[in-house]
Amino acid sequence: MSLEEPKPTDVGETPDGNVDYAELEALLGDAVIGREEHVNAPAFVVRPDEVQQALGALREEAGFDYCSCVTAQEYEDRYESIYHLKKYDDPTQEVGVVVPTTRDEPVSQSGEAVYRTADWHEREAYDLVGIEYADHPDLRRILLPETWQGHPLGKDYNPEKPQVVPFREHANPLEPDQRGEGSESDTMFINIGPHHPATHGVLHVETVLDGEQIADVEPDIGYLHRCEEQMCQQSTYRHQIMPYPDRWDYVSAGILNEWAYARAAEDMADIEVPEYAQVIRTMSAELCRIASHMLALGTFALDVFGDFTAVFQYAFRDREVVQDILEDLTGQRLMFNYLRLGGVAWDIPEPREEFFEKVRDFLDGLPKKTQEYHNLITSNEIFQLRCVNTGELPPEVAKQYGATGPVARGSGVDIDLRRDDPYGYYEELDWDVITEDGCDNYSRVLVRMREVEESAKIIEQCVDLLEEWPEEERTIQANVPRTLKPDPDTEIYRGVEAAKGELGIYMRSDGTDKPARFKIRSPCFCNLHTLREMTEGEYIPDLIASLGSLDIVLGEVDR
Amino acid sequence: MIGMLKSMATTMKHALDGEKFTVQYPEETPDVSPRFRGVHKFSQERCIWCRQCENVCPNDTIQIITDDQRNGEEYNLHIGQCIYCRLCEEVCPVDAILLTQNFEFTGDTKDDLAYNKEQLKNVPWFKDIDPLASREPDRGAWIGEGEGEVDYQ
Amino acid sequence: MIPAQTQTPLPDIIGDLLGFGTEMGPGETFIASFIGAALVGTLMLTMTALAGPWAKRKITAAFTDRYAVNRIGPAGLLIIVADAVRLLSKELIVPEGVDRPAWDLAPIVIASSALLGFAVIPMGNGIHLADPEAGLVYVFAVASIASVGLVMAGYASNNKFSMLGGLRAVAQNLAYEIPLVLIAASVVLFAGSLQMSEIVAAQTETLVSLGGVAIPSWYVFVNPFAFVLFMVANLMEVGRNPFDIPEAPTEIVAGYQTEYSSAYFVLIYLGEFIHIFLGGAIIATLFLGGPAGPVLPGILWFIIKIWAVFLFTQWARSALPRLRIDQLIEVGWKGMLVLALANLVLTAVIVGVIA
Repeated sequence: MSLEEPKPTDVGETPDGNVDYAELEALLGDAVIGREEHVNAPAFVVRPDEVQQALGALREEAGFDYCSCVTAQEYEDRYESIYHLKKYDDPTQEVGVVVPTTRDEPVSQSGEAVYRTADWHEREAYDLVGIEYADHPDLRRILLPETWQGHPLGKDYNPEKPQVVPFREHANPLEPDQRGEGSESDTMFINIGPHHPATHGVLHVETVLDGEQIADVEPDIGYLHRCEEQMCQQSTYRHQIMPYPDRWDYVSAGILNEWAYARAAEDMADIEVPEYAQVIRTMSAELCRIASHMLALGTFALDVFGDFTAVFQYAFRDREVVQDILEDLTGQRLMFNYLRLGGVAWDIPEPREEFFEKVRDFLDGLPKKTQEYHNLITSNEIFQLRCVNTGELPPEVAKQYGATGPVARGSGVDIDLRRDDPYGYYEELDWDVITEDGCDNYSRVLVRMREVEESAKIIEQCVDLLEEWPEEERTIQANVPRTLKPDPDTEIYRGVEAAKGELGIYMRSDGTDKPARFKIRSPCFCNLHTLREMTEGEYIPDLIASLGSLDIVLGEVDR
Repeated sequence: MIGMLKSMATTMKHALDGEKFTVQYPEETPDVSPRFRGVHKFSQERCIWCRQCENVCPNDTIQIITDDQRNGEEYNLHIGQCIYCRLCEEVCPVDAILLTQNFEFTGDTKDDLAYNKEQLKNVPWFKDIDPLASREPDRGAWIGEGEGEVDYQ
Repeated sequence: MIPAQTQTPLPDIIGDLLGFGTEMGPGETFIASFIGAALVGTLMLTMTALAGPWAKRKITAAFTDRYAVNRIGPAGLLIIVADAVRLLSKELIVPEGVDRPAWDLAPIVIASSALLGFAVIPMGNGIHLADPEAGLVYVFAVASIASVGLVMAGYASNNKFSMLGGLRAVAQNLAYEIPLVLIAASVVLFAGSLQMSEIVAAQTETLVSLGGVAIPSWYVFVNPFAFVLFMVANLMEVGRNPFDIPEAPTEIVAGYQTEYSSAYFVLIYLGEFIHIFLGGAIIATLFLGGPAGPVLPGILWFIIKIWAVFLFTQWARSALPRLRIDQLIEVGWKGMLVLALANLVLTAVIVGVIA
């Protein structure tokens, strides 16, 4: 999507909607000490003490209002943080900001003042790699416990060293009964989670209550950290990484996640995917999206309704149908491992007609089911009372926090990588991006419900295409060497629209068959960061509802 | 008020139509797709001990022990550690390892789930579904040689 | 058509059967009353046992297209025994720092307060323990003792979630109790008595005769508006969805009962169900003609009516989201109270004009 008229603020944009990197370089002035070519976009190397100024200029003057990810990594001779910047209006306009720091003194200026979302990203970089960020408001570990020794993705980390922590050194979460101004305050500190019926996994929300109202919340994550990035760094591009994306967002969004890796790796190694495989990918990915949104709807209803009651069960029943279809196609119900670099693992199962009929039956039944959900949930006055105008996330705040997916679209931010940065077969198909302007929990639910309908539209068109596809052209797999060794120091950041938002993968190759750095930009991670903005001053039930409407999966937050 | 009544009518409709979407599991097994990936079955007669499955396995589930003439001695697979990604089956050039549809297995300890080649051989077919029939067509596509470096070992 | 209610209370009948004569001494009265109370209590506990582990699951399953318990015994009924054994054999965990006497007393208060209410409910076939003149006032009085139990449990548990649950229980209690009593007062205006047997008797008259079928003047037909209001207020009273705010599993874990396990949990759970049945009994008495009904004996009709109310609570549970505490209080004070008052005034005017 190109902008019709370049806005006057957008320095560094050519009239036809591309990025004018020379102009950007001029804009940044002395801060730039070099330029790197990444596969997705060029990146400016910026002095570590000029980060704020450089990012600020790119944001304010050049309109890069979306910091999608901060990647940190360690080289033999330096540390490096990369800020992947984009525009919400046009995510294909990308630029990277590379900040190298010395190994002796890995301190670089924090970008938090410019992009709020950098807060958590930089904390993660500090936690896992060990770069310190000056002026960061709250530079603590985020995924690992406070008492952890060393930075696991750093070069000199000793994994053999036992992380024994005496009991007394553990912070007792029950200790600060009161938080706030002095001991006179009448707030109450309460731990919601890590074991709580409504946190959708092991999330710990440190909550300060003023009566029933939320004075402050602080999500404490990392309970489900499984070193997914490191596991991918130890696996081969060709085969071994693909099963793992299924396990990031593990509630049936598997193929969407696999596509994130597949897209990044294919662009990196320059693999052309056959069109037929792209159609199958598109169809299966949208099936996953339906399954994932059904689950989101069911669990959100669970949070608001209060028990494992009807809506949850109905949503699961309908999701079951999708999973059956996906099982027929991929062989598993959740951990699909279906995509391959350069294609997919299977063709449509024989007999094809039976499979298509099954899909069509599901699609035909969907409008009735959607209507049922509308009857049951969205038209219910109590539900509206609970969800309208609660958990408000204004679009500007959403952008600041790098929110994507239904969370951003529920705040009226019109971003969808399927349309804005097309991949797969989406460009050829007829569908719409759904946005709602309510900015509240209700809008987010509506966005998901309407996206299910859009997905159904996409699937229907894909099924039509697949049925008509001539038999001799049904190539599901491009020719890909059995061992993939991209050129050394190829760097790429690529995102796809996963169920929860932009799932991005950053990879750097070092000439071997395994990535030297594999970074996952998790949409849930960024979306969860908005929780504090959404819930301040609201009631506990709203906190739970907001958490539900964010639709986080801790497997993806913690990775 | 109308919305609330609509909600209540919807659930009541479900209560009255008497349909069930759950199944009574041990008596009534759910349908399993031909492609479903369950416990492995291993055939020592077919195996050529090329170790491709061991190399491709993403989390070191397969352990192969050979003597110095590269004759196979042991083939161990920890079905509790396996993530059922089916890569071993995909790379196997001789169909010596297959994933059956069988998903019903238990063990009292984790060690019970470490299968040796005899146990793997005795894994029953699930409802007599032979996975090969449904999987054959794609194998050529998968093994197909690329333009770049071809590395079978 | 409807047999006249026996005016003899149950203890007197039992005294008769035991041969105590018409004039019972204090000891004999105690024995007879005790046996009568035991009978009524057993009946209610049996129903609770049926409802808690079995009927609730079956009903929820029906609403959600599932099977639910069906393995142990016919239709899974023996799950009641299995569950009882399971729950009672669990360890009773006493958390550190609980306020001991209060923490131990709370489950007993919760369970017993609801049972006490049944003392004045006429159940038909002469099953009516006592019939004081202020019977209705008594029922509301003892039923709201349960709230004290909730606060005790919440406060004594030394748990912040319980504390919140207890506080919510108080706030909720204040919000619904007044409308509840006001709506009941409108019925009292019709019946002209607070005595339960009188209220039931007042509903035996024929309201209209439609094609030979006499419709009795049950207050649900006389004043359906009050009935609807009372059903809602009753849901609040028994703390079921959409008003299960003091428990709110997804928000404050289980509210006041978070820290209870084993026998204490059973007592609280029991208390909740008895409470639902007591609510049903009050509704049956006030609006549905008590034990009245054609063909079947009164006690059966009575049981059918209170189960119907139980079914309604489960139905609401399946379909309605939980309100937020501030919204509930708003509904209670700004909605229910106003409507209840309007209803009362209207009833007073109508009764005044007719009489």
